[in-house]
Amino acid sequence: MTTASTPADVARAEKARVTDGAPRTGSSLGYLRHAAGKLGGALVSLFAVLVTSFFLFRIIPGDPVKAMTHGVPTSAEQLATLRRQFGLDLPLWQQFTDYCAKALSGDLGTSFQFRAPVGELIAEKLPATLLLTGVAVVIYSALGLWLGTRSAWRHGGLGDRLNTGLALTLWSVPSFWLGLLLIIVFSVGMGPIPGLFPTGGMESGTGETGLAYVLDVAHHLVLPVVTLVAVGYAQTLLVMRSSLLDEMGGDYLTTARAKGLRDDAVRRRHAVPNALLPTVTMIFINLGHVAAGSILVETVFSWPGLGGLFYQALSVPDLPLVQGLFVVFAGAMILMNLIADLLYPLLDPRVGR
Amino acid sequence: MVMVTKAPPRPAPAAHRALRLLLASGVTAVSLVAAPGTAAAEDDKSAAPKTLTVAVSQSIDSLSPFLAQKLTSTSIHRLAYEYLTNYDAKDARPIPGLATAWTPSPDKLTWTYTIREDSTWSDGKQATAEDAAWTFNKMMTDPNAATANGSFTANFAKVTAPDPRTLVIQLKKPQATMAALDVPIVPKHVWEKVGDFSKFNNDKQFPIVGNGPFVITDYKVDQYIKLKPNKTFWRGAPKFDELVFKYYKDGDAAVAALQKGEVSFVPNLTPAQADALKTQKNIKVNDAPGRRFYALATNPGAKAQDGKTFGNGHKALLDPAVRKALFLAVDRTALVDKVFQGHAVEGEGYIPPRFGSYFWKPADGQKRAYDPAAAEKVLDAAGYRKNAEGKRVGKDGKPLDFRILCHATDPNDKAVGKYLTEWWGKLGIGLKVECLDSVSDPWVKGDYDLAFDGWSVNPDPDYVLSIHTCGTLPATPKDTGATDNFICDKEFDGLYARQAVEYDAAKRADLVKRMQSRLYDTGYMNIMAYPNALEAYRTDQIASITTMPEAAGNLWGQDGYWSWWSAVPTASAAGEKESSSSAGLWLVVGPAAIVLLGVGLWAARRRRSTADDRE
Amino acid sequence: MTSTKPTPASASSLTWERRRSTVARFWKAYRTHRAGLFGLAALALIALLALTAPLLVGADVQSVTQAPGTALESPSAEFPLGTDQFGRSLLGLLIWGARISLIVGLLAAALSVAIGTLVGIIAGHYGGWFSTVVMRITDWFLVMPTLVLAIVLATVMSRSMWTVVLAIGVTSWPTTARLVRAQTIAVESRPYIERATALGGGHRHVMSRHVLPNVMPLVLAQTTLGISTAILTEATLAFLGLGDPTVVSWGGMLQDAREAGAVSSGHWWYLAPPGIAIALVALAFTLCGRAVESVLNPKLGVGR
Repeated sequence: MTTASTPADVARAEKARVTDGAPRTGSSLGYLRHAAGKLGGALVSLFAVLVTSFFLFRIIPGDPVKAMTHGVPTSAEQLATLRRQFGLDLPLWQQFTDYCAKALSGDLGTSFQFRAPVGELIAEKLPATLLLTGVAVVIYSALGLWLGTRSAWRHGGLGDRLNTGLALTLWSVPSFWLGLLLIIVFSVGMGPIPGLFPTGGMESGTGETGLAYVLDVAHHLVLPVVTLVAVGYAQTLLVMRSSLLDEMGGDYLTTARAKGLRDDAVRRRHAVPNALLPTVTMIFINLGHVAAGSILVETVFSWPGLGGLFYQALSVPDLPLVQGLFVVFAGAMILMNLIADLLYPLLDPRVGR
Repeated sequence: MVMVTKAPPRPAPAAHRALRLLLASGVTAVSLVAAPGTAAAEDDKSAAPKTLTVAVSQSIDSLSPFLAQKLTSTSIHRLAYEYLTNYDAKDARPIPGLATAWTPSPDKLTWTYTIREDSTWSDGKQATAEDAAWTFNKMMTDPNAATANGSFTANFAKVTAPDPRTLVIQLKKPQATMAALDVPIVPKHVWEKVGDFSKFNNDKQFPIVGNGPFVITDYKVDQYIKLKPNKTFWRGAPKFDELVFKYYKDGDAAVAALQKGEVSFVPNLTPAQADALKTQKNIKVNDAPGRRFYALATNPGAKAQDGKTFGNGHKALLDPAVRKALFLAVDRTALVDKVFQGHAVEGEGYIPPRFGSYFWKPADGQKRAYDPAAAEKVLDAAGYRKNAEGKRVGKDGKPLDFRILCHATDPNDKAVGKYLTEWWGKLGIGLKVECLDSVSDPWVKGDYDLAFDGWSVNPDPDYVLSIHTCGTLPATPKDTGATDNFICDKEFDGLYARQAVEYDAAKRADLVKRMQSRLYDTGYMNIMAYPNALEAYRTDQIASITTMPEAAGNLWGQDGYWSWWSAVPTASAAGEKESSSSAGLWLVVGPAAIVLLGVGLWAARRRRSTADDRE
Repeated sequence: MTSTKPTPASASSLTWERRRSTVARFWKAYRTHRAGLFGLAALALIALLALTAPLLVGADVQSVTQAPGTALESPSAEFPLGTDQFGRSLLGLLIWGARISLIVGLLAAALSVAIGTLVGIIAGHYGGWFSTVVMRITDWFLVMPTLVLAIVLATVMSRSMWTVVLAIGVTSWPTTARLVRAQTIAVESRPYIERATALGGGHRHVMSRHVLPNVMPLVLAQTTLGISTAILTEATLAFLGLGDPTVVSWGGMLQDAREAGAVSSGHWWYLAPPGIAIALVALAFTLCGRAVESVLNPKLGVGR
């Protein structure tokens, strides 16, 4: 998620976004109206994504048929057969209506290069991406929350400075580069360090079952997850830290302290829950990002997920597959944004219901 | 039985997961120095089967022989199905495959193949001429079944199997390539149940019924393809217990896996990788003459068969003098030295030298050797003078600025582009290197001046020659033809037509050489190099393996199945040794690690809870 | 791009005075941020290197035909960082590459912020259904996977530096647009805007004379932070093979290193420096951006 935007940037955009249009009226009717609005917006966005993905990828230069048959003895008749099989001989408007009709019934078409239904291909790769990014997001969110809280509580101190400094430095590192370095050091082995981890892939493919298989996958998971966590946790940390600092300036904390509550109790019961709010929404937004965001790490570690599939599909271009993946990537973002929007007013204690 | 990828594994029990974490943190690194690789997974196997693992990067387009076109797929089909003929590992001459003999009729229009009796499908049924006839007839009658290999049957009039041992193919016109029909023969009794050949991928039911040296037993998209030896294979069963093609989308990851012994073989190395691997123990680098040529192609003015020209190729390139000057300023030896780091042979004729019978090189007077001074003279003489800024200008007063199409995914294109820019810059000619993921679009439209070109040449050169004939030009500018570079030359076409019907091998070879000479003289292409095949394998896993050509040849992408069929495992294969040693190690390290881990976890827990409560 | 640039028409001495004191106050506050100063110093050093690169190493460093060394030499006195596969000095390329990486970063961030500011101000100023539509589009862009969109754009267009600038610029503006819109609405609710309108100031006048100067600090912070993102994205695109192969940039060097197989052959000296350089510049810009931000908006509580 190197490319999402700077951590501080996200934090502020997040504030601008969630405070924009969250219901301030305290009624459940207001919430329903808010929810309906957001839901409608999400549906419109999704439809726009469907349409865009068709035209966006049609402007990619490149003749899929010619690209796929390059270097293979192919006659003009064979080229024509392929074109017909792929539906590329039809006029553009007809391709578009076919696409729309199919997409609405949940059929994303058939991949050119794998000759398999796009939906099936995506379903096959989705678990790998979900596993990788899911584990990474959970770990870096937890890590970010924990370190962010510590940092904010002792802000300005040496610990805080080291903490944020390290996080920012790691955030500035290109994730693919970090991945390559980790491969050199921990996979290939360097000097006294032995090659502890596999160089790529999700499983050894030696036919393990049960526990052995789980361990095998976990073993393959370590380096890619470490890469994603190292590069990603700064966001959570900084958002948590700054929102906690905001909360700590709040009057109610002074009141709480005045009531004689101990510092850590004040923190745990009042400041942290409030500060969690923007962080949690941001984590959801991140979840939306992850599908697309792991393209790099999946490429470096040969992880059999959607990111690698997308990149491969793009170079042909395998139109149905890139379209389908784009819809999935954008759809994930829309869905997670929607969840964040719907959750926000429910979680915000200041928005009484 | 391609299933949806296994569901995300449930979280491992704490102790085991923690073991991994401990490994990760490197706490036990020192004690584990001796146990690289995937240790835990192997400790339950006492007599590990000998597996040959090949690193691949290219995806399978389809496992159906009627659809598959990519090299990985066709290589695997070579292993799983017998073709009528095969190519000798020594010199690539046609030798018996499913057919034991083949003879043309005196009128050259009927070929009779004798089918062998000792080839059985892996489900026990006998492979017969009927299977072959059905395969070809299917391709001739169903365009979808002709998707991959239709070009082989385009000239077939009728295919019959008068008896189980005899296959008769009748041709429309004579065809010299009848001993080089690279078409997998499939079992009729399995395939006649298939409905739509454009949709059937042959990847739902394993093992896949075949009669080649291996049987495909499992496939997971972009993860692996597994094959088991065919014990009843007529030429003798392969020696390894299993052959696995494992996916590494990243070349460095594949090499790292080779160094660790995770894979036995890695193809397509870069020069730097090959040099680094050469010095390593238990690894042999195979640096063999390749079957590819790597060339510079100029746009000869794209045109269609209806006579219409199209595209925006630079007009100055229609002048033979300009092309000659450009090619004279290309230092091919420098490219071999610098770009290929010596792992290539300087280019001369169209067909690489490994195909000895067809190899041709220009005579002394004919050759365009590197000579920048001569290039300057040629341009001066042809009237392309330098202007005030030192740029050559054409007769229309415009400077000579060319574009070259480069494949963004090919490092060689980008590297050679850098050299060309500087060499031609000195001549006063500008060059813009335009790199694209898919160059096919401008290429098909004729919207290019120069382009990097390259083909892998088959033992039978018919196809790579055919793509320079007028007959392969697109019918109209809107169509796509099979043509490589829009070259259309009557003399070349005449020679092509003659070799296509010449059944005498020596005479045909002579015609092929004359075609290359003509192609060289037209000056539309400059063959810069024949890149070597750079590959490496582990000698502690593979004891011996046959290259093709046998003397000095490649292992990956052979025309036959020689490499994997012939590979002999090392007496004590590495996998076996590793697992036993690591199993022993685990007995010692395991308990120690668990204790260490428990302490670690407890400490971390404590710290966290104190952090939560007290700070 | 700073907030101190005088608008030529209204360059009265009074505004000048006011702006100068603003800058002085800004600098005084900025100076107290040690991390920010560190970032600034690092940037100044790198910018100096990039600017003097023609003198330090010369354009010849890119030449493959006149490369001084042999392929992939390890670090030595002659080549402190070793050589690449063509025998060119990696140190020279690293310095030369700073130019492209910085230019692409700056231009892409500027483009992105310019689009964002324009959209934000217009949407914030006009309001109503127009604003709703514009913000719908912005939201829609906001949910687009940025990297995916940038990859697609870079694939569609030919490989050049400008393609990369454009791909980054047009995919990363929505955040700025949202922030600027919010700020615009806040500014326009102030009474003096009402006065200005009453005195006959048109839309253009209000937007350029009153709103723009007030959102400028925000835009400045946004640009600084945006540059580091842009530099990382440039490296990412180059790494995926979508950069311009004919120029030397840090991301391109990483891609070259990978294509040469430097990772598995253990040539860490080829791989490490460009990555460190990217990280250093991105970090420097982030530190500066955070310092600027906390000066302008102390409530954000960025650590000192």
